[in-house]
Amino acid sequence: MRSLDESREVLYVIRTLDVLMGSGVGLEAAIHSISQGGYGIISKDFSNLMENINKGKPLERELRALLKKAETDGYKRVINTMLNNVTQNTDIIETLRKQGERMEESRTESVKEYIEELGGVPETLLSIGMIGPIILSILGIAPQLMEDAEELFGPMDQGMIMSIVNVGLMLTLLGMAMIGLKAHTKDPGL
Amino acid sequence: MIFGILEIFRNEPFLLFIITLGVACSIGGIPPIIERNRRRGIENDLPAMLEALSDSLGAGLGLQQAMMAEADRNTGTLGKLLRETLADAHSSSFDAALANFATKSRSSQVQRVMHLMSTAIEQDAPLQNILADMSRDYERLNDLMNRRESDLMGRSILIIMFVSIGLPFLIAFIVGLFAPREQGFQLESFNSSFTLFFGAASFVAISVSGRMLGRMRSALWWAPLWMAVSMSIYHVGVFVIGG
Repeated sequence: MRSLDESREVLYVIRTLDVLMGSGVGLEAAIHSISQGGYGIISKDFSNLMENINKGKPLERELRALLKKAETDGYKRVINTMLNNVTQNTDIIETLRKQGERMEESRTESVKEYIEELGGVPETLLSIGMIGPIILSILGIAPQLMEDAEELFGPMDQGMIMSIVNVGLMLTLLGMAMIGLKAHTKDPGL
Repeated sequence: MIFGILEIFRNEPFLLFIITLGVACSIGGIPPIIERNRRRGIENDLPAMLEALSDSLGAGLGLQQAMMAEADRNTGTLGKLLRETLADAHSSSFDAALANFATKSRSSQVQRVMHLMSTAIEQDAPLQNILADMSRDYERLNDLMNRRESDLMGRSILIIMFVSIGLPFLIAFIVGLFAPREQGFQLESFNSSFTLFFGAASFVAISVSGRMLGRMRSALWWAPLWMAVSMSIYHVGVFVIGG
């Protein structure tokens, strides 16, 4: 969930940092502005960072701690750029602009990939969702259908068959849910 | 036969509960759809508004004047909101009116844009360039969101139709044909298992299709209704086909 939130918000954070720092606001004040809210998990991270800074901890150490906490590449890169700005006084605005452009390209790509990958989900979902119940329904009515064929197949206990059918239905449901989970885990975070 | 069909629901209290819940929840599911249409309408108009504001600023107009011109031009929900904002700006500060505009829009995109605009005004930043950049950014974002919607909508409807309608009908057909009730087949526990399965499968289908479109929470309002439809199709199907 954290990575999804990060990837959803990071581009907006870059744009905001770009505007703020491009108009002369310092890094700490820009972080403070974002920590006020509106950027989900990143606002929370920056808010914790500001709390620790106000307690007297150095910005560099806090940024390093945040770097370890970050899960997505984009967010890590942003924090790294901030860290470089603090330690080596690099041109943060230019770097952020380039990162924003790159991130936007990768977001477009990931949406295209998402749409392509989900192309097969309905077919797979329907294959499992249809074949499973068809087989299980025939199995469920088999003991009554084949009552006269006990000599051939041996006695079939309706209760036991129903237990197998119930387990089969639950497994089918689980399979459908697992396939559907792809729609959640691969979400590009728009 | 109609009375016979109605009669079979009498012994299914859970199904009756799901039907009642489905009707109630589907009424709850309408406001999110209306709200989403309204919000997307505003968000789709946003890049054009930002571009127009940027152009007007480039021509030497002030932000408030540029917004007035845009409010006159735009006939959609965004234009209406802008007109209200500018009317409010007469009785309060322009900054407060912008914040009010962002709140009224109930859109995170508009709120972010207004926040950035306020910050840029406070910091005396080059607003024309910022607005032009934001216009490009949000145009691309909206294109992606619209593309996702149009590409995945058909697939999500396909999932719901097959799982909630096609599948219970097919199984009811098989069961009704091979093990008709009138021939004395005892299928109470079988039917009850499959009825519950179709309800659960419909819930999964609605969740997956909602997640595909990026709006699972509002899609879940419709889950009880589709569960009820799916379970009822199976029940009625077995009864009718099985004689």
